[in-house]
Amino acid sequence: MRISIRGEDFILDPSGALFWEAQGALMLADIHLGKITHFRKHGIAVPRAPITDFYVRIEKLIQKYQFQQLYFLGDLFHSNLNSEWDTFVSWSQKQAFEMTLIAGNHDILPAQAYQKTPLHVVENLVLGEFILTHHPEEHTPFNLCGHVHPGIMLRGPGRQGLKLSCFFQRPNQLILPAFGAFTGLHLLTKSVDDKVYILGEKEVFAYPNEP
Amino acid sequence: MSVSQQKPSVESWFKHKGWKPAAFQRQTWKAYQEGQSGLVNAPTGSGKTYALWGAIVQESLAVEAKPKGLQAIWITPLRALAVEIQQTTHKMTQELLPEMEVQKRTGDSTAKEKAAFKSKLPFGLVTTPESLHLLLSHKKNEDYFKNLQCIVVDEWHELMGSKRGVQVELALAYLCALFPKLRVWGISATLGNLELAQQILLQPTGQKGICIRANTLKKIRVQSLIPQTMETFPWRGHLGLHLLPEVLKQINKNRSTLVFTNTRAQCEIWYQKILEAAPQLAGEIAMHHGSMEKKVRLWVENQLREDKLKLVVCTSSLDLGVDFSPVESCIQIGSPKGVGRFLQRAGRSGHRPGATSTIHFVPTHAMELIEALALQKAIDHQAIEDRQPYLLSFDVLIQFLMTLAVGNGFHPKELFTIIQRSFCFQEMRKEEWQWCLNFIRYGSQSLEHYDEYKKVEVTPEGKYQVLNKGIAMRHRMSMGTIVGGADLKIKYLKGGYLGSIEEWFISKLQPGDTFTFSGRILELVRIQNMEVLVRKSKAKKAKVPSWMGGRMSFSAHLSQMLRETLYDIEQNDSPERKALEGVLQQQKKQSIIPQPEEFLIESFSSREGHHAIFYPFEGRAVHEAMASIVAYRLGLLEPQSFSLAFNDYGFELLSDRPVDIQGLLDNDLLNPQDIFEDLRQSFNVSEMARRKFRDIAVIGGLVFQGFPNKPIKTKHLQSGTQLFYEVFKDYEPDNLLYLQALTETYEHGMEEGRLQQAFERIEKQELCWLQTNHPTPFSFPIITDRLRGKLSSEKVEDRIKRMLQQLNKATQI
Repeated sequence: MRISIRGEDFILDPSGALFWEAQGALMLADIHLGKITHFRKHGIAVPRAPITDFYVRIEKLIQKYQFQQLYFLGDLFHSNLNSEWDTFVSWSQKQAFEMTLIAGNHDILPAQAYQKTPLHVVENLVLGEFILTHHPEEHTPFNLCGHVHPGIMLRGPGRQGLKLSCFFQRPNQLILPAFGAFTGLHLLTKSVDDKVYILGEKEVFAYPNEP
Repeated sequence: MSVSQQKPSVESWFKHKGWKPAAFQRQTWKAYQEGQSGLVNAPTGSGKTYALWGAIVQESLAVEAKPKGLQAIWITPLRALAVEIQQTTHKMTQELLPEMEVQKRTGDSTAKEKAAFKSKLPFGLVTTPESLHLLLSHKKNEDYFKNLQCIVVDEWHELMGSKRGVQVELALAYLCALFPKLRVWGISATLGNLELAQQILLQPTGQKGICIRANTLKKIRVQSLIPQTMETFPWRGHLGLHLLPEVLKQINKNRSTLVFTNTRAQCEIWYQKILEAAPQLAGEIAMHHGSMEKKVRLWVENQLREDKLKLVVCTSSLDLGVDFSPVESCIQIGSPKGVGRFLQRAGRSGHRPGATSTIHFVPTHAMELIEALALQKAIDHQAIEDRQPYLLSFDVLIQFLMTLAVGNGFHPKELFTIIQRSFCFQEMRKEEWQWCLNFIRYGSQSLEHYDEYKKVEVTPEGKYQVLNKGIAMRHRMSMGTIVGGADLKIKYLKGGYLGSIEEWFISKLQPGDTFTFSGRILELVRIQNMEVLVRKSKAKKAKVPSWMGGRMSFSAHLSQMLRETLYDIEQNDSPERKALEGVLQQQKKQSIIPQPEEFLIESFSSREGHHAIFYPFEGRAVHEAMASIVAYRLGLLEPQSFSLAFNDYGFELLSDRPVDIQGLLDNDLLNPQDIFEDLRQSFNVSEMARRKFRDIAVIGGLVFQGFPNKPIKTKHLQSGTQLFYEVFKDYEPDNLLYLQALTETYEHGMEEGRLQQAFERIEKQELCWLQTNHPTPFSFPIITDRLRGKLSSEKVEDRIKRMLQQLNKATQI
């Protein structure tokens, strides 16, 4: 789905990625790599299979958008170092595009760890009228951010209800959905000024706006 | 006391007290002395404690040398009970064996009490299944148990149908293997399957054992409280507050009364309302439920014992054996859901031998009047239900393996044969055992590549052991099988704990909101470090917390009685039947009252959607499974999404599109073929599994709920069971814990084959489909139920599209 914010065109991908065509930039929030291994290291038996999930999904996005810039809007890595970081390092070294990490509250790896990757690590990033952060921020130019893991409850007749991941847009802010596989949802309530874009499996759906 | 010059004995102790031992007590003493294990079938208040404790003390009196070390362990299901038992047994012990002590050890025990236990082992220990397991996780546990003569399991009927029963089985299997001469005794109220109860309990001893029955049958009468005017009798509801005036009348007539409610929320509300309506009772009325702070509970129990209270509003927390002197009258609010439980509650009143105990029943809605009749019938027939044991509960086994690994560790080969001595795991296959070992060692079944999983390690001698302190500590903190949501402590700003409350309730409140708890109206100030800080409020209105869980199902017996009562309802001339007149007329006007050869299906449409209601009258648990199967089969005709509701009478399928009943009839979708396969299929698409999985994930150690008072440090390890459920479903669908959720749904609460029998019965009935314009009295309690399951065979994409279309329509008007 294509939307326009402050005169710029963005594509909302059903995977949860945001593509800024004019900049050739793809943005992902809250991947939480390493979370599964972190749990397993502490004796909690999460299945290992979804660890590779990220690489499968990003490969498809690389093919689809052929971007030059990849921005991680925070919480790239869930915890202290573990073997999942090595996987990420070797993947990152093979990529042709530039990568920037806007550090989130979970990104606590030591500086040396990042140095093995082509990642630029920054607090935030201003691109024209837009500021990229991890935590949602008020009183900025338009804010692109993550952190929240936004979700919405869709209700229908017959007491139907569906909890779905979404892009959540406020007047000055677009919150990206969590891209990671083993992450939860935080349900938000839409007010009149908000716009919500729901992730289906293959399509993004706009939540109807009150007239 | 001054015991005469002769050698003291339990017999003379009885005499001194002016009591005469009952036949079953003597029998128990004799059997115990002979070295037997067994089961004592006796109700509360019959002297069952002295039957067994007497035997244990007598044996120590018979030997010259003073007993050394821990002689007996007494397991009770409730912490509240432990206090009572400890006091009784300690007193008896001290009067006969002056230097010997009985201690108690439960989740409520203080660090001081625990230290006292370790420094000098008492003669006897009263404990709960969880606390016994904790002792097994101590490195020195064999020292504790080496002199042990006997383990008594009290209220076994209550434990056996729960996962805590499995915990008991495992502990017994383990201790009996270590100490082959150990005697095991159970105490149980009457059950439909008492023989099985005995077999399960005694299996680890390798003996059949003896069953000793106390003959103390009581006459019990059920009396429904019916209001003067019946026009106001509500069709639905679960509170029964419309009968408050009648309940008050009843309370005033008696010196002391217990009011039993089914949920803690109901308990809070009734307490509040009674106090509002009869403020003169203040000071003589108390409340008792499991979430209240220990001190308050103990106080209430003591006051009851000392006969200082006129009224206690309680939940099942007072169901079991706390031996207070009997109250004069008992009132049950809403359906008790089972004959055994009802009898136990009724037994709380009027202990005069031979006298009839009356229990007053407060129907919360019209349909429960039928239930009152069914209950009386069941009591007259002594149709007490079976308790169904859990089989192959891998979650409990995994927890137990961890418990042992945290302590001294275990050798898998030896342990396998020990575990197989328990009834629960007697049929465990080698592969399943290996699965559990792999699970705690590797965290998965595919072992091919290196991975950082860390939990149980294997020492060079081949012992499975936990070496990491953090893991050991987390396991100890989260042991136990009773699962609640995340519980937060409620605390006054000025200090002082009030009890605990589930997080999901509190999360719906904003600071400044008021809620009732423990009979007080409190204002939420803030939530901080897993504590809810509150202050007293003068507000008149407040929210009432509800606690999840605790929805029980009708037993097979009660379901059958209910059907029989219903079929004959028009010939009945009881006051209940008269009270029901209007409701029955209305039902007949809109639909029918089904007869034995008929199976009723009603359908109608409302603003909510399209409703189809089926009436098997088989109890909630069976209906839950039936609803899933029928919804799944309908989905095969055409993909559709359903919201499912069920109560003890029937179940509802609600959809945004018409439910194809004609298709259901034409395709014979209620046939009993392949029901298990269909349930398995439906399970993958329904949300039923999620709820079951929640407990399993916590017990199996997948979800760590955090340390009390130390929430922040562990936050990075916390995740919801939902997330686990999703990951297992998508990535590891053959995980035994995930599959267990399915088997539990199918096997448990459904008493073997009940689902099959229900479908077979329906096959012989004529299906009567009635399209009504409005909900009928029968359907009303079902369709208004808010706790619902969901099942969808549609693609998510299609559902989103349709819901958004609906929203679009709504916004364009």
